[in-house]
Amino acid sequence: MAMAGSLPMPSAPRTTIGGRVLIAALAGAAVALIVLNRAYRTAEMALASGILNVVTSSGVYLAAKRQTVYFGLGTDHPFGLQMSPECTSAFLVLPLLVVGAIMIGLRPRIAGRVLGALALATIAVILVNQLRILTLVGLIDWLGTDRGYYWGHTLLGSMVSIIGGAAALVMFVWISTRKPKAER
Amino acid sequence: MNLALLLGLTQALALTMSVAFVTYVALIVVPYLRHKRLPGGDPTTLEWHFFVPCRDEETVIGDTVAYLRQTFREAHVWVIDDDSDDRTAEVVMGLRGPRHGGTGDQRLHLVRRQRPFARTGKGDALNSAYRELKRWLGKHADTDRAIIVVVDADGRPAPDCLEVCSAEHLFGNPRVGAVQVDVRMSNRGTSPSAGGYFKRKFGSALVRMQDLEFRSAIAAIQLSRGHTGTISMGGNGQFTRLSALDSIVEGAGPWRGALLEDFELGVHLLTAGWHTGFTVDTHVDQEALYSLRRFLTQRTRWGQGTMQCARYVRRIWDSRHLSTLGAAEMLYYLAQPWMQLLGTLIYPIPFVLLGIRATHNPTEVWEWFSGGAWLLFATYGSFGLMPFIIWGPIYRKKCEPDKGFFRGLAYGFAYAIYIYTFYITSWRALVRLIRGHNGWTKTRRNTEAGHPVVALDH
Repeated sequence: MAMAGSLPMPSAPRTTIGGRVLIAALAGAAVALIVLNRAYRTAEMALASGILNVVTSSGVYLAAKRQTVYFGLGTDHPFGLQMSPECTSAFLVLPLLVVGAIMIGLRPRIAGRVLGALALATIAVILVNQLRILTLVGLIDWLGTDRGYYWGHTLLGSMVSIIGGAAALVMFVWISTRKPKAER
Repeated sequence: MNLALLLGLTQALALTMSVAFVTYVALIVVPYLRHKRLPGGDPTTLEWHFFVPCRDEETVIGDTVAYLRQTFREAHVWVIDDDSDDRTAEVVMGLRGPRHGGTGDQRLHLVRRQRPFARTGKGDALNSAYRELKRWLGKHADTDRAIIVVVDADGRPAPDCLEVCSAEHLFGNPRVGAVQVDVRMSNRGTSPSAGGYFKRKFGSALVRMQDLEFRSAIAAIQLSRGHTGTISMGGNGQFTRLSALDSIVEGAGPWRGALLEDFELGVHLLTAGWHTGFTVDTHVDQEALYSLRRFLTQRTRWGQGTMQCARYVRRIWDSRHLSTLGAAEMLYYLAQPWMQLLGTLIYPIPFVLLGIRATHNPTEVWEWFSGGAWLLFATYGSFGLMPFIIWGPIYRKKCEPDKGFFRGLAYGFAYAIYIYTFYITSWRALVRLIRGHNGWTKTRRNTEAGHPVVALDH
C-alpha cells in the first residue's frame, strides 16, 4: 500500500569547486558593500541625478564626493539630498547576498535560479530606493521643503522601503525556490 | 567601521528581518482563514495504537487510560513507564487487571523500562514501545494499516480524531506517513486554584496565550506547510504509520535523541520520501502551564531542541524529496532561535547609538524626534508588533467567537509580550548548548506543585 521511503535515495552532489568560487564571490560582494559603501552611495546618487535630469525641468547637480544631489536649481526652492548609510539600498542587498550564498552552498543545482533571483531582487531594491528619492523630490516640490521632506522622509519613504523590500524579498524567494519547468 | 555605517547596517538588517517576518505572517494567515472542514474517513480500515510515555504520572495516568479505552474501544493503549518513582505502573496494572485467563483488558499494555536504561529521553521511551509493538504484532503484520498515536500522559484526543485522520487526504492516502492534529489547552478559561489574585490572573493569561499560540499561529504555520510539503510533528497528537516508522529505523528505533524528538521524526520521514499531514478538523487537549518559570523551562528545552536540529540542515537540503521552497521553509524554522539571538544583538544598537547621541546633544535629538522622527518609530513599532497582535482577533474569530472584539485585541497585545519571552529562552538554550547540558527531566505538571525539581540535567 504505502511505498515511500522504501528505497534509499541518492544524495544530491555536494558543493563543487565552481560552486565554492560562486559562494566566495557572493560573500566578497557582501563585504564590498560595507567596505566600498561610499562608492556605492555615490553610484546611487549618480543614478538618481540621471533620473532627475530626465524627469525634472529644473537644474540638477551631483556632488559626487558628498554623495549629494541638488535639484530645483534655478528655481526659488533649490534643495540637496545626501545619501547617508542609513538610506542606502546597499545594506538591503547584503542579506540577500548572504542568503543566496547559503542556498547555493546547500543546494548547488539551484545556483542559476538563485543568481537570477538575486539579480532581479537587487534591481528591485535599487529601483525602490530610487523611487523613494523621487517620491521625496516630488513631495518637496509639491508641499514645500519642510512639509514635503517631513512626509516624504519619515512616513512615505519608510512605507516605500517596507513594501518595496517585502516585494523584493517575495520575488527573491519565489524565483529562487520555484521548481524547474521540467518538474512542474 | 564608523558609527554611521554601523547604524545603517543594523537598521537595514532589522528592517529586512522585520519585513521577512511580516511577509511570512501575511502568507500563512491566508490558508488558515480560508480553511474549510474536510470529510472524514472510516477508522475501521486502520489499526490504532496509542503510545503514552509516562514518568511519574500517577496523578493523571489513570484518567487518561480510562478515557482512551472508553473513547476508542477498538484501539490499543501502550503505556510506557519510564521507571517512575511513583505508582504510575501500579495504576496501569490495576486498570489492566489479570493478564492471563482472559479477564483483564487485553488492549491495555504496559511497557516497563528499568534504570540504568530508563530515563534517557522521550525518544528512547517511544522506541521501547515501538519494539514491544513490533514483537506483539509479529513479522507478518500489515504495517501500512497500523497507526501509532503519541499522546501525553494528560492528553485527551478528541473522540472524532480517528475518523478525521482516516480521511482521504490524510491516512487514506498511502503516501502519507504521519499526521499531526491541532493542539488545544484543556485548562483555557480556568484559573489556577492556588495563589493570590494577580498570580491567578497571570496564570490564566499565560494559559490563554499558549492556547492562542497553538490554535492560531502554529496551526496557521502548519497549514501553510501543506503547500511547502514540510508539515512537522509535535510531541502530542502525533499520528504515524508503522511502515513509515519502520522505514526510518536506525539503532534503537525510529525516534532519535534530540530534545525536539518530534520535529526530528518529521525530518526523517520527509527526507525518506513520506508525506506528512496536519488537520485542525480534530484536536488533542493538553494542559497548559500556569507557571512562568516552568513555561520558560519548557520553551528553553524546545529552543535548545531546535538548535540541536540544525545538524539536519544538510540532510534536508540534500534530500531530493524536499522542494527548495520546502527546504527553505525548514531552514527558516531552524534559524528562528539563532535569528532571535541575532535580533537581541542588532535591534538595540540603533537605540543605544541614539541614546549616546541624546546624551551628548539632547536638544538636537529632541528636535529630530518631535520634528517627525516619532512617526518613524511609530511606523517601525507597528510593523514590529502587528505580526503578533493580529493573532488575537484571528484567534477570537476562529476559535473563541463568543468573546468580544476588544478581548481579542487584548489577546493580541498580550501575545506580542508573550512572544518576547522567546528572546530570553533562546539565550538560555544557547548557554545550555555551549555548556553541553543536553539532558532534561520532564516539565512538571500543574498538579505536581509539591515536587522540588523543575528541570535538571541527567
